[in-house]
Amino acid sequence: MMFPSSLAVILTGILLGGLSLAAFGWAWLRGQFSNLDAQSTVILDTRDYLLERPWETGVQRAEREAAYGPLVKPATGEWGGAE
Amino acid sequence: MSMRPLDAAVAPSDYDGGGVDIRLRADASSRRPALIAFSLAIVWLLLGSLWGDLASFKLHWPDFLSGAGWLTFGRVRTAHLNSVVYGWASLAMIGTALWMIPRLVHQELRWPRVVEAGIWIWNVGLVIGIGGILLGFNDGLEWLEMNRYFADPLLVIGGGMIGVALLATLAARKVSHLYVSVWYIMGAFVWFPILFLLGNAPWWSGVESAGVNWFYGHNAIGLWLSAISLGAIYYFIPKVLGQPIYSYHLSLLGFWTLAFFYALNGMHHLIGGPLPTWMVTTSIVASVLMIIPVLSLAINHHMSMVGRFGALRYSPTLRFVVLGAIAYTAVSLQGMFTALREVSRITHFTHWTVAHSHVGLYLFVSFVMFGSMYYIMPRLVEHEWPSARLIRWHFWLVLIGIAIYVVGLTIFGVLQGLALLDPQVPFERSVTASLPGLYLRSLGGVLITAGHFVFAYHCYQMVRMPAVERALPNFYEVRPVIYSGAQVEEAS
Amino acid sequence: MTRTWILILGVCATISFALILLVVLPQVLLVQVQAPPQLQPYSDVQLRGRQVYIANGCLYCHSQQIRDSTYTTDVERGWGARSSVPADYVYDAPHLLGTMRTGPDLINVANRQPSPDWHLVHLYQPRAVVDWSIMPAYPYLFEEKDPADVQPSDRVVTVPAPYAPPNGRVVVATPDALALTEYLLALKRDYPLEASQAQADLLAGLICVPEYGPISARDPQTMP
Repeated sequence: MMFPSSLAVILTGILLGGLSLAAFGWAWLRGQFSNLDAQSTVILDTRDYLLERPWETGVQRAEREAAYGPLVKPATGEWGGAE
Repeated sequence: MSMRPLDAAVAPSDYDGGGVDIRLRADASSRRPALIAFSLAIVWLLLGSLWGDLASFKLHWPDFLSGAGWLTFGRVRTAHLNSVVYGWASLAMIGTALWMIPRLVHQELRWPRVVEAGIWIWNVGLVIGIGGILLGFNDGLEWLEMNRYFADPLLVIGGGMIGVALLATLAARKVSHLYVSVWYIMGAFVWFPILFLLGNAPWWSGVESAGVNWFYGHNAIGLWLSAISLGAIYYFIPKVLGQPIYSYHLSLLGFWTLAFFYALNGMHHLIGGPLPTWMVTTSIVASVLMIIPVLSLAINHHMSMVGRFGALRYSPTLRFVVLGAIAYTAVSLQGMFTALREVSRITHFTHWTVAHSHVGLYLFVSFVMFGSMYYIMPRLVEHEWPSARLIRWHFWLVLIGIAIYVVGLTIFGVLQGLALLDPQVPFERSVTASLPGLYLRSLGGVLITAGHFVFAYHCYQMVRMPAVERALPNFYEVRPVIYSGAQVEEAS
Repeated sequence: MTRTWILILGVCATISFALILLVVLPQVLLVQVQAPPQLQPYSDVQLRGRQVYIANGCLYCHSQQIRDSTYTTDVERGWGARSSVPADYVYDAPHLLGTMRTGPDLINVANRQPSPDWHLVHLYQPRAVVDWSIMPAYPYLFEEKDPADVQPSDRVVTVPAPYAPPNGRVVVATPDALALTEYLLALKRDYPLEASQAQADLLAGLICVPEYGPISARDPQTMP
């Protein structure tokens, strides 16, 4: 009686859903989602990591230095008063 | 959160991206188009704010300027909505996308002249559409009022020109990995034309036209406005903080579940209405399932920020963007809650809905756009913002303004809804119960508009100042200042 | 993600799915809804009035839908004898269901306010008839004339003293005001739904609790 529960609709839904899942699976196997951590870093380059940021705590700064190297200090007047 | 070491498995060009050079070239290629988009966005922001204030005054002073047709509430309110949605928000997002895509794909913007022409054509469409609304030419569908024969085609053509140029830029890209912001931006540019054409088609009638109206309306919010704003949040938080987003897996989950569920939400604007119940129920279910992308986004943004909220004292970009991100979570939770039939009984048809929509469209979308512009403008005009004080005035005026607005209309909207719900209570009571909220909204609106004029003035100063010569290219990286501002004037 | 076209494909797939489910499928169903025999298409004057309604943004404060009585109190409040059904809107293009009730619901306003003169005064200055109203006034839908200039064909609107124009001038309705009034007087959707069996099955599948049967003995309410 109810159109949405008719066989045609259910089969269409399964078909569409199945196609989407298949496409997703194929993309997964083709490596679209591999190495995600690296993908998250594409927007940052060396200098982004090395800038010293005034809001970071001593511990955070030390971690940053250990991971990337000596930090670049802000110039006079930047960040509102670094001397 | 500990630092991740540089990952050698990714090609060096993806990291240093050619170093400074590609960034300068990307910025140079998007400079003119993005500045034009931002300037026009600000014009519509000011106009839209003034229309909004006027509409708000008219609700509690109904005889204020009521003599002429072009100033009647029903036209001014609509001019406000179309100005801020298709003028301010859309153009600010277009400007943001024009700057971000070349940066993200390490490829200069292709076809910049086509883009500029597209921006102007879009704006001509807006003038015709919004001018038309004030003169009484209204297509009769909320969010789709601009004339479908003379105004809308110009938006389609102009937007299309911008979209294909971005696609061409993407096609010529020099990176192999597409960052998540690219998905959101390109998704938006594919979704929006489909939605806009569908919604504006003249053949819908009856309750089906209501279904299509709100399929469009909600998806314009979710798949155009929210999408590009979320893309901006995903870029600026890691960029300013100097470390990657907390979990890229979550951003993947968030994007695809957002794409899948958001599009089904539209009928929740018609709860209780004369639509097939299964349609409304589908939308309610999809609205509740939005918890998946919303939580993914919230966790991702929060965990990226945790331990570093001090950045909000220094970076105007993060101040606006992070508050915007929090507002996104808030408005989504509000939306899920009110999509439930029992809650909708109280809030539907009331000013509560207006407050909710402004949490989304202002506290989320507009704040993220302010944050984006605070980051991007220095890179376009090649010098820093001249005045930290003006940034702070802008921030506090609009924040206090929107807080008064939202709290006022939420509380008094619920009171209105409760009055409407009780059949023994005369309708008059729902009107008088909401009046204090209407006055508060006007107060909030005036503060917000003042903040916008401050921002506009500051942007004008930015554009007029000459570029600053430096040994190193200035401000291709993070250098915004908001804290203890006196020294900024020195540095510039 | 490295392939643009996969992104584009996925993005198109999600919107297509929603389109099929919430636009195409409903259209297939709803196109079968027929106009009830008691519902007349709008006349030309009423359509013109409907355009005036749209042009002046009436839909931003007024809804045109009665929600089901098992769900909420629209019917009890006296805004309609029964809840609205899709068949009530077959002649509405575009729909004007509305999303705000800053003002009352209007789908049955012709029952509550059957007098054209009431509507004309109300449109000219709402506070002349409803003192707590925050509805805008629409004086530009009217003309003010000296009594000597009034034509026999003019529809003069009698406005109560504090709101009437000064110097004895009279208010005359423009064709737009008259058309809008005609449209408002066409807004009644309380005829009983005596559906044929096929229509009943269709409606039963479409909506939650269809309300059949004669109109209740409720009297038309005055201003809600």
